[in-house]
Amino acid sequence: MAKVTFIEHGGAEQVVDIPEGWTVMQGAVRNGVEGIEAECGGSCACATCHCYVEEEFLDRLAPPSQTEEEMLDSTASERRPNSRLSCQIKVTSALDGLVVRLPEAQS
Amino acid sequence: MFRFDPYSPAVDADPFPFYKTLRDEHPCFWSEEANMWVLSRYDDIVTALNDWETYSSAKGNLMDELPNRAGATLGTTDPPRHDRLRSLVQFAFTKKAVEGLVDPVRASANRALDAVKGERSFDFVADFSSKVTVDVLFGLFNLPRENEREVRDKAVLMVQSDPKTRQKGPEHIAAFQWMGDYARQMVELRKREPGDDLITALIQAEIDGEKLADREVQMTITTLIMAGIESLSGFLTMFALNLADHADARRRLASNPALIPDAIEESLRFNTSAQRFRRCLQKDTVVHGQTMREGDFVCLAYGAGNRDERQFRNPDVYDIDRKPKGHLGFGGGVHACLGTSFARLATRVAFEEFLKRVPEFARVQEHLPWMPSTTFRSPTRLDLAVA
Repeated sequence: MAKVTFIEHGGAEQVVDIPEGWTVMQGAVRNGVEGIEAECGGSCACATCHCYVEEEFLDRLAPPSQTEEEMLDSTASERRPNSRLSCQIKVTSALDGLVVRLPEAQS
Repeated sequence: MFRFDPYSPAVDADPFPFYKTLRDEHPCFWSEEANMWVLSRYDDIVTALNDWETYSSAKGNLMDELPNRAGATLGTTDPPRHDRLRSLVQFAFTKKAVEGLVDPVRASANRALDAVKGERSFDFVADFSSKVTVDVLFGLFNLPRENEREVRDKAVLMVQSDPKTRQKGPEHIAAFQWMGDYARQMVELRKREPGDDLITALIQAEIDGEKLADREVQMTITTLIMAGIESLSGFLTMFALNLADHADARRRLASNPALIPDAIEESLRFNTSAQRFRRCLQKDTVVHGQTMREGDFVCLAYGAGNRDERQFRNPDVYDIDRKPKGHLGFGGGVHACLGTSFARLATRVAFEEFLKRVPEFARVQEHLPWMPSTTFRSPTRLDLAVA
C-alpha cells in the first residue's frame, strides 16, 4: 500500500491507500476522487486522468512513453512540466506519500 | 455443490445470481466446465488487469479462442509489442477522430427508423442495432458497400459457442474463417488502392522498422470488425432492453437527452455485452487461498465485478444517476477497449434519434432468446411494442 494525496482544483484534499501494482488512476476512481475521469479505462487513450505530480516525486516515476507524451498534448487543462496521466503511474512503495494535484478540467 | 458453467443457457439468460455466489462464496473458483479459474470480485479483476506479466493475454483473450488468432491481435498480445501495435491503431479511435461520425450515425439511425415508421412493433436487433452498427463501421473502415448483411451475420456467429459440446462448433469456426478471408481481401484491396483509412494505415505501419505481418493486419481487422459490429450492436441492444425495463429512466432520457451519457455508463456497468474475458497465468499465483498454477487459464468476469457491492452500492439497481466511474464495462488496464470513444458516441447519437422518434416502447417477449456465447451476452431478438 502507498498513501497518495489528491488535491482537487478547488483545494479539497483526499488521502487514499492504493495497493502496489494498481495505478494512481485506479486508486482515484476506486475511492471516488472527483477530479479524475479516466474515460478510456486506463489504456492511455483519452487524457482525462491528467494530474500534476509534486516536483519531489517526479524523478521517482518512469518517464512517459511516446503514447503518453502524445496524449499529454491533448489535455483539457494546461500541460505543465509536471503533467502526467495517472493511469500510467503504477504504485510502488517508493511512491508512498505521493501528492498529485488535479487540473481544473479533464474534458 | 455449486457449479459455474459459462456454456449453460441459464448463464446466458441470467449470470447474475451465479456471479453473486462466486463473489461471496468462491472468489477464486475452478470451473470444470470452462476448464479455468474464475475471478469475480472487482478488486481481484482490477489487480489481474494491471498485472499483464502474470495474467498474460498472449494465449488468447476470448473465453473460447478462435484458431490461429492468439498473438496476432491487440487483445492477444502482451506489452511491449502490444503497446506499439496499439499506438499504431489508436489514432483512429481517439475522441477527436471519432467526432466525424456524429452525422453518419445520426443519418443511419434515421434511415433505420424510417423503415419501421408506422409499425406497431419491430425487432430492435434486426431493424435498428444491426443496421446502424454495420452502416457506421463500413463507413469508419471505408469498406465497399456490399456483403453488409453477410459480414454482420458472420460477426455474430463467430463469437458464439456450442452449449452442448462446450466448444466452438464447425459453423462458428467457418464464420471466423469467412471473416478472415474477407479481411484478407480488404487488405489486398487497400494494397492496390491505398486510402485515408485504418486498413491502409495498418498496412503501411512499422514497428521497430518492420512492417506488420499479413496475419497481424488480417487478424486485427477481423477483430475490429467483430468488436465494431457484434459488441457494439450487442451493447445498443442491452441499452434498449434496460430502457424498456426501466420506463422512468427512459422517460427522463427522452425529455432530457443530456442524461443519455450517464445512462450509457450505468448500462456499461449494469449488464454490458462484454461479460467475460480470459488470461493465462505465467507463474503460480495464490488468490483467496487457492493456488492457481502457471499455464492455467483465468476468466475475468467483468459482469460480476460490475455488480460487486464491495465497489458499487446497491449494485443490482439500474440507477442512471450513479455515474459509475471505474466500471469494467470496457475492461481495463493496457487492454481496455480500444473503441470506448466510438462506442459512447455511436450509442449516444443513435439513442438521441431513437428516443426522439420512439419515446415510448415496451418489451413484447417475456423470455428473450440469448446468444450462446461464453464471452458476450445479448439477446438475438428484442421485439419492442411502440405506442
